[in-house]
Amino acid sequence: MAAEHTETTPASEAAPDDDGGVFGTLGAAAIDLALGGRDLYSVFVRTLYYSFRGKREPRAMALQMYEIGNKSLFFLTCTMGFIGMILVYQSGLQAKRVVPDFTLLGATYLELLVRDLAASLGALMLATRVGAGIAAEIGSMVVTEQVDALRMCAADPIDFLLVPRFKASIVMTLMLIVWAGAIAFCSGAVTAYVAFDVPFATFFNAKLVDVGDVTIGLTKCIAYGAAIPIVSGYCGLSTFGGSEGVGWATTRAVVNTSLAIIMLNFFISAAGFIIFPG
Amino acid sequence: MPVSAQNPKPPAFVAPPVTPGKRGIQFIDIKKSFGPKAVLHGVSFEVKEGEVFFIIGASGVGKSVLIKHLVGLLYPDSGEIWLDGEEVSKFDEVRMGPVRKKCAMVFQHSTLFDSLTCVENIALPLRKHKNMTQKEALEEGKRFLVRVHMQDFADKYPTELGDGMRKRVAIARALSLDPRYVLFDEPTTSLDPVSARRVDRLIHELSDSTGVTSIVVSHDLTSIFSIAQRIVMLYKGHVKMLGTQDDFQRCEDGVVHQFIRGHATGPMEM
Repeated sequence: MAAEHTETTPASEAAPDDDGGVFGTLGAAAIDLALGGRDLYSVFVRTLYYSFRGKREPRAMALQMYEIGNKSLFFLTCTMGFIGMILVYQSGLQAKRVVPDFTLLGATYLELLVRDLAASLGALMLATRVGAGIAAEIGSMVVTEQVDALRMCAADPIDFLLVPRFKASIVMTLMLIVWAGAIAFCSGAVTAYVAFDVPFATFFNAKLVDVGDVTIGLTKCIAYGAAIPIVSGYCGLSTFGGSEGVGWATTRAVVNTSLAIIMLNFFISAAGFIIFPG
Repeated sequence: MPVSAQNPKPPAFVAPPVTPGKRGIQFIDIKKSFGPKAVLHGVSFEVKEGEVFFIIGASGVGKSVLIKHLVGLLYPDSGEIWLDGEEVSKFDEVRMGPVRKKCAMVFQHSTLFDSLTCVENIALPLRKHKNMTQKEALEEGKRFLVRVHMQDFADKYPTELGDGMRKRVAIARALSLDPRYVLFDEPTTSLDPVSARRVDRLIHELSDSTGVTSIVVSHDLTSIFSIAQRIVMLYKGHVKMLGTQDDFQRCEDGVVHQFIRGHATGPMEM
């Protein structure tokens, strides 16, 4: 596969600058969006290509696994622990009003966690920490010409910078989300016991979780793990200008990665309901 | 007597015509804009093999932009760039590979990779361009560090070094591929005078001993008037003057005169 030209199209160059009224502005925004989508797709395809065909760099991948995984562990444990408590407390209050029966509180909560919440909420948390970090690092490399220097060394920035992060993110997002889900469930169990006197034996109930839930949950983990470095790496590579540009790239990375996670959640959930209707 | 007769305005510099297809580098009518801002309005000149060629001009005039076109880090809006008889300005990333092997570049801020040690920084292009193994590339990298007197810092990370040392490692990285052309983007900026003169000496030796062609973007008047064999001055996106050190010293054009004397006031518009 021929490597393509790595320059991404800055919005300011792509959009016409003259005053064309509302239609002109909308048209410029549409062109901007289409060009951005094309560039993002190109980054994704090339990342996949180099993931399978490029040289393996185990040291770079191990370093990224540590950066993405180990360094996010405490943050994710705290946030998902509190989210678990909030979710069970609010669900318990609602259940108390409608059907004052908590026997299925744990089972329903676990199904929801496995199918959706653990992956989606965990990935949104990761997007803020990991996505921002990737965009800032790559963006700084762009503005200090390190990415140009990579190209001069015949090292494709996608292969050198994105592929180790892509592989590490898929592995570590999966592991972190399984861990974060377990934390959210345990913190929920403690909340249910303290607030609603639900015994642990009743709460720890997995009878509503089936193969479909696990498959959908794992699919989401992998999809989010892939989306975070791709979207944030693309934002980093399209950095334009100096330190202000890096700031904007970081902001765009967090916003776009969160958006990508929510959109992927919708499509994977919809596909899941079709494939596993039960 | 009218004023114009007392101080006749020197004729505008007319750049010699550039013929493509020869050895060396030919820039022909290069135009480049960034959005609405036009930077290069049609720049043409030739760099001959083996010479130390300086590109000078005020900040923002497009000197760095121009040399980045040669190695495909930027693409011109129009115009042609010829390298050793080949038109390279429309090459894609794959075809640019051999061009980048032939034309190394030393960037303004060294651009060493912080996650790699000095010797690993030099080994990277050797692995990628020459398909060496990591072990072979590291051995070769150490050899190039000796050449810039940095062998004692092989296992240090760039963040542990000063600006001058980083610049020397960056030069070693550029030389590691045995290029025929080396592009230096403000190589003495941010260096102390001693380090700056050492870099000058290195560029001079490179040309003298190995016949490498050096294209140097610089504002450093000491460098310009000590090692430059030919100089081109860019002004407002055009070639203002092209010639040897002596030509520049003798030039009566107000803008050229102001620039090479470093005067704060004069006809030059920034």
